[in-house]
Amino acid sequence: MKLLNHRLAKKVSAFVAALSLVPAIASAQVPVRDSIPTDVRLGIVYQPSYRPGVVMPLMPAAEGLRELADTARRMILRDLDYSDRLQIMPVSEDVPVEGPVNYGLWDELGAVWLVVGAVEGTPDEPVLRLSLHDVVYRLLQEVRAFELPPLRHPEFRYAIHAAADEVLRWATSGTGIAATRIAFVADGPGGSEIFVVDSDGFGAHSVSRDSSIALSPAWSPAGDRIAYMSYKRGDPAIYEIDLANGRSTVRVDLPGMDLTPSYMPDGTHLGFAATIDGRTEVYTYDLIRSCCPERATFARYANSLSPTFAPDGRRFAFNSDRLGQLHIFVKDMNNGSAELITPYIYDRSVHNAGPDWSPMGDRIAFHGWVGGTPQIFTVAPDSRGLRQLTQRGRNEDPSWAPDGRHIVFASTRDGTTGLWVLDVVSGRIRRVMTAAGARLPDWSGRLDSASHLTSGAAVGSESNNP
Amino acid sequence: MSNSWKNTAGWLVALGLVAVMAACGGGAPEPEPEPEPEPQVEEPTVDEAAERARLEEEARLRREEEERRRAEAERNRVLAVIAERVHFDFDKSDIRPDAAEVLQRKVTVLREYPGVELRIEGHCDERGSNEYNLALGQRRAEAVRRYLVSYGVDVGRFATISYGEERPVARASNEDAWAQNRRAEFNVTDHGQLAN
Repeated sequence: MKLLNHRLAKKVSAFVAALSLVPAIASAQVPVRDSIPTDVRLGIVYQPSYRPGVVMPLMPAAEGLRELADTARRMILRDLDYSDRLQIMPVSEDVPVEGPVNYGLWDELGAVWLVVGAVEGTPDEPVLRLSLHDVVYRLLQEVRAFELPPLRHPEFRYAIHAAADEVLRWATSGTGIAATRIAFVADGPGGSEIFVVDSDGFGAHSVSRDSSIALSPAWSPAGDRIAYMSYKRGDPAIYEIDLANGRSTVRVDLPGMDLTPSYMPDGTHLGFAATIDGRTEVYTYDLIRSCCPERATFARYANSLSPTFAPDGRRFAFNSDRLGQLHIFVKDMNNGSAELITPYIYDRSVHNAGPDWSPMGDRIAFHGWVGGTPQIFTVAPDSRGLRQLTQRGRNEDPSWAPDGRHIVFASTRDGTTGLWVLDVVSGRIRRVMTAAGARLPDWSGRLDSASHLTSGAAVGSESNNP
Repeated sequence: MSNSWKNTAGWLVALGLVAVMAACGGGAPEPEPEPEPEPQVEEPTVDEAAERARLEEEARLRREEEERRRAEAERNRVLAVIAERVHFDFDKSDIRPDAAEVLQRKVTVLREYPGVELRIEGHCDERGSNEYNLALGQRRAEAVRRYLVSYGVDVGRFATISYGEERPVARASNEDAWAQNRRAEFNVTDHGQLAN
């Protein structure tokens, strides 16, 4: 009971502290009213959120594994920081790492969680042992051993990210985004190519080698393939890259241009747009049977493109100029009319594009012009609750992370072209990377390609305090 | 005394020589005129025919050269008319009056050269979304195709493609560059009778 009170008190005090911040935050916001009528409430409003503190002391390491241990710890701390759910608390290097956990010490520091790790095994077969302690309850929460590839192995970073996501799941029950990747377009020898980068900005490399124009990458739900549009055979068509072997094969090539591919969440169909009678319409294509393109939009004198599916696959959002302005619509897969979800404004400069349906289903991100410059917005699929999330520079083509709270987008906010990540809860923004012509990012789902990294079973209590 | 006489005689001789030289005009002696060359005698029967043939050949080559130049000039004229870009207003695919003038000239040459086939490329400026610009560029190419077809040019002579904003002609980010980039370009895919 005493412990419970202690924890409650801590939470209440944090909540009060957060509340006291509210007026300052609110006054710092300038609602954007550039071309938006007054009946639409707009503003960059972030909820003040409480982030429990986490500490992770230096890890003891077996012989020859010091560098690996330090690298792993740095990566895990950064991954936990980038989750925007935990507050990283600094810990001095002279804190004893051996012996039983001194909960009182960590409690004094204000930590709620303690991550204790150790690296065992050999440089060829290292094992990372991680345990999570609830400092408030003075309990061991979880423990697990992660078999790692050697330090220089190409999958090493991914394995550490997966471990960090596991720690985050223990502490918050939330989906981690460390072990995910981002596909994007950047300038290449013949125009543009498709690239992939880890969510922390490491390991950017091209996955297409078309020496042509490649655009609009989209991850398959399993993360093993990327669909994209390429001009490599002259007539723009939709291709798929098999990431296991790097091979690119044509998937959809209707007469005319095929563009803006997007997988249905169950991976059975591809949504895309194709030219018909000089305009574009949204179609679906059966990936299992490799056939049967079916029209999904019907607007005779307008363009419809950039489909994105709801998590249940029953509805999709898309981009269309059918009202004379560019807007986002939502439509039932099987029937029904397309519903406008972005505000119609009597202003020629309305230009809403690049929709992406959140994997949680509750929001659709897109970019819309504010005074002729694209900014990131989100809106509910029923058109309620429009929110503008960015203000500085050009910000385009948002894509949700699998946790449904982070968005990657292309931005010129610091004067160069790069990819940035925004936490829609806290408003924190970080740069992933810069690249010439970086655009059209697509965030992968949870990647299970590292399933070969077998997880060790939870071990006995005597090993809990390494 | 005899010496003085000799001296006087010497002077006289010298004077006499000077007088003679003065009378001759004081220059170098005139060269003998050379004899006129003998006129060469031609054999008219064989060479007249050769000369006629040579002249005819020269004339033929001149005519051919002229013809070639004329064809090349015509080809260049036609290709220039075909290559002339048309431009669009922002976020629009309507054919503007200035574009209609350009397209009318194309209609004329496309009628003159029915074998010529074109690929019409639609392009956009950088401001719109990358993906939407693909659709907009396609609409621009199609608008141009429809215009040409509406003047009786066979629809089968045109292919269309959109490059969205991926192939700008002007790299800057200002109204002038944007205006240049919002365009349709024309590529000859079959030269027909223009081929030679």
